[in-house]
Amino acid sequence: MSETLLRTEGLARHFRVGKLLSPQTLHAVDDVNLSIDRGEIVALVGESGSGKSTIARLLARVYKPTQGEIYFEGKPLSRIRGRRQRLAYSSDVPMVFQDPYASTNPAYRISHGIQRALHLHRRDLGRKGRAAETDRVLDAVGLVPARAAARKFPYELSGGQRQRVGFAQALAFRPKLIIADEPVSMLDVSIRIGILNLMSELREREGVSFLYITHDVASARYIADRVLVMYAGHLVEEGPTEAVLQRPKHPYTQLLLSAVPDPRAELGVADKTDVGEPPKVVDPGEGCRFRARCPYAIARCETETPLLRLLGQRHRAACHVAAADADLTAEPQLAALTDS
Amino acid sequence: MTAVTAAEPAATPGPEPPLGAARRGYGADLWNAVLRNRKALVGLLMLLFFVVLATFPGQIAPYNPQATDFLPGLGPSRAHWFGTTAYGQDVLSQVIWATRQSLLIAFAVGGLATVLAVLVGVSAAYLGGIADGTLSLLTDVLLVIPIFPLIIVIAAYEKNSGLGMLVIVLGALGWSYGARQLRSQTLSLRTRDFLESARVRGERRIYVIVCEILPTMTSLIVATFLGAALYAVLAAAGLQFIGLGDPNSQSWGTMLYWAENNEALGAGMVLWAIMPGICVAALGAAFALLNYAFDEISNPALRMRRLDRPIDGARGDAVPAVPPAPDRILEVRGLTVAYATDGDPVIAVDNVDFDVARGEFLGIVGESGCGKSTLLYAITRLLGPPFAGEIMSGHILFQGRDLVSLDERQLRHLRWREFSVVMQSAMNALNPVLSIEAQMRDACKAHSNMTDKEIAARSREVLQLVSIDPIHLHSYPHQLSGGMRQRAMIAMALLFTPDLIIMDEPTSALDVVAQRSLMVQIKELQQRLGFAVVFVTHDMSLVGHFSDRVLVMYAAQVAELGRTRPLFAQPRHPYTRALMEAFPSIHGPNARLTGIPGSPPDLARPPAGCRFAPRCPQAMARCHEGVPPLHDVEGDLVRCVLYDKGAVPEPTLVQAS
Repeated sequence: MSETLLRTEGLARHFRVGKLLSPQTLHAVDDVNLSIDRGEIVALVGESGSGKSTIARLLARVYKPTQGEIYFEGKPLSRIRGRRQRLAYSSDVPMVFQDPYASTNPAYRISHGIQRALHLHRRDLGRKGRAAETDRVLDAVGLVPARAAARKFPYELSGGQRQRVGFAQALAFRPKLIIADEPVSMLDVSIRIGILNLMSELREREGVSFLYITHDVASARYIADRVLVMYAGHLVEEGPTEAVLQRPKHPYTQLLLSAVPDPRAELGVADKTDVGEPPKVVDPGEGCRFRARCPYAIARCETETPLLRLLGQRHRAACHVAAADADLTAEPQLAALTDS
Repeated sequence: MTAVTAAEPAATPGPEPPLGAARRGYGADLWNAVLRNRKALVGLLMLLFFVVLATFPGQIAPYNPQATDFLPGLGPSRAHWFGTTAYGQDVLSQVIWATRQSLLIAFAVGGLATVLAVLVGVSAAYLGGIADGTLSLLTDVLLVIPIFPLIIVIAAYEKNSGLGMLVIVLGALGWSYGARQLRSQTLSLRTRDFLESARVRGERRIYVIVCEILPTMTSLIVATFLGAALYAVLAAAGLQFIGLGDPNSQSWGTMLYWAENNEALGAGMVLWAIMPGICVAALGAAFALLNYAFDEISNPALRMRRLDRPIDGARGDAVPAVPPAPDRILEVRGLTVAYATDGDPVIAVDNVDFDVARGEFLGIVGESGCGKSTLLYAITRLLGPPFAGEIMSGHILFQGRDLVSLDERQLRHLRWREFSVVMQSAMNALNPVLSIEAQMRDACKAHSNMTDKEIAARSREVLQLVSIDPIHLHSYPHQLSGGMRQRAMIAMALLFTPDLIIMDEPTSALDVVAQRSLMVQIKELQQRLGFAVVFVTHDMSLVGHFSDRVLVMYAAQVAELGRTRPLFAQPRHPYTRALMEAFPSIHGPNARLTGIPGSPPDLARPPAGCRFAPRCPQAMARCHEGVPPLHDVEGDLVRCVLYDKGAVPEPTLVQAS
């Protein structure tokens, strides 16, 4: 299970913003090193504007990295040449989109996207093979009976069902890694769990890895093996899900966790409020990007960008303070005990 | 609009609804819509009439149109319905034969202009960058130069080059308007996920344009064609009338040209001059009607269905079922709201009763499509275009006055001053081209006689209340972050310190951190200023810490209404319990959850009996026997047979008749 499927090295994506005469650079993603193993579900958590979706689009090759490299099965993506190699990669790493109401073409039956995917990527299948495969993937995502579901138009389906169509389309590629960009955030709370369960099942049955992008920490905990936390374009913490959630190292992760509404918790107005907003990362200098909101900021945070440091077993955080703190330095042994 | 959902096939294992007749598809839907539209039908019949004339002129026309066999200048008679020309030709036959050319021009120019408009508009928008710049510039130039004089000049040079040239000139100059519309439509589609999905899939660019974008714009493309055809009919007739066509051709314009040259009107050949004009107008009208109809079909908002509203001003005086209580700010009694559809009306809010006490925080929770937004719009009396719902019965007593019976003027007096509304998306609710200050000023001016100075002071004050620096008075909505926009909306709602603020999922577009801080802020303001809050959300966990009572709605009805603390500690209705167990937690063991199987019922065909029964793990035979009443359990209300004490004296029914 620990074979690396995809990893990035110093991945960065900048966008030019501002006027013609005063050009500025928006650092959507900076220096991100992440890895996803075969059959692993990795959650990428952060606020909107933290760069999560940019990472999704970099991995799906919608954007080209400004710096850094993505390795898929050990091969760098920058060496992909020609339509055939591009298609091969996009069928290995398909994407499921956030808005189920916009991700299916209203003019076609829902089988359209699946059929096109099969047509483009699995040319060996004949007409019959395509129909059978369409039924198989619709069945796999719980749209039953598949034959009838395939003939529906998007407007005849509910949001949750449309999101299942998105996963069915991805499955048609026989993917190795599905990038799911906030697949449940536009769905009702009551049907989110169905989609999350679907992702777990697909991992079990089809052996697919997932990069699950979300701002909902609780749902990340529910399905992910590992959690990556992003803040303002930087990866600020990563580690096994329970370790990150039970012993968050980075002050931002702590803030994020304290904001999660939990009806099972004690009732009463929360004490800690934070009206700060995630910064727009335009021409950032050195320094920790969370320092303005951070209750523990020290002088060093102004001048030196913290790098990810190992603070527990497979558990890293990019924070000067967390590393210096006596409690946290004691943590690694503690984490090692529970992580195994 | 939540009520008008299509029938749901079950996605998750569970009882399968019948799949119904297989749908014939997008094209068939469009065709059905055309047949249902009266304008379209009339236009289509008129067009058909001309098409028949143009196809079989030889069979229909009584004489050879060119033969000068008759006496010149005859008036209408049985032999010559429209009389004869100054050259002794039959006018009726000429009119009929001329149809062919006019239609030919209309369809050829329409086709050519549409192809050009699609090519230019769609590729400009989809390719973007320099291509877009160049093509848009070309389009705009064509839009602003006076086309008709230009056509006259070109036509004068090319006077004798025939019909083909005319079509090319008209087509080449007539596509700009359509291109403009198609471009903006494509721009709005360009970032839609289904196109991105097609690109990620590895589709070629040309496939995306032709097979993914164009089919979604069918009605707009048809409208472009009809608009261009209309313009071609009129322009061709005009050109030929001033003698810039081939004078020997058979067309309505040429007929007018000859009639004019022979002073037909003065010489008693009235119909020679009038009939071609009428034909031009009629064909133009046919295209215009079809064009309008397609506009309506592609924008359903233009076509409103209305329900007969049984409630009028007079009925509002009726004594409410329960006398108003002084400590209640809002009392909703037996409220029923319906939407008009092609079939039976859909009841989106079904006989709902609840109260809000002064200073209370009431959370209204439910899945989408359960009627919670409709309920909110009904309470604020904001139903109406584009929300096609109507209050069918019931009372909304706000501080003792029945909002249902008030007219728009009286409502305006109450809204914002006495109760205000915070909408789901601040980006849509705020005007993007006005600064926050200007929007506050507009609101104050519309609802009070405050002076500019007072308004400025009050605006600062309310912004500070929601901890926004008053410097942002000069900011525009897009300059604020999502959280700040929502807080600015709340600040505007506070302008007159209302007694009740109604909020429709104000935090759903925000991240958890911003969401948390906004909720805390709302709660603090509420405790400080003492207003009551009705808070509508699909996320139960959100109201858990903040509301005094929670109303759980399911399929247009109240499922449970109780005090927050006991309700969260011990949810009574199986639906409430299922909702509570539907989301994972970050604390405790990470247990596998099941969610709620199936989806909420189609409100057009609600199940008989308890509406949750088809999805309920505890359903029994009794559940299907009739809608259970609301049972009073220790002061809280539950609509479930589990709480029916059977033999015990009838439980207190709190359902108002």
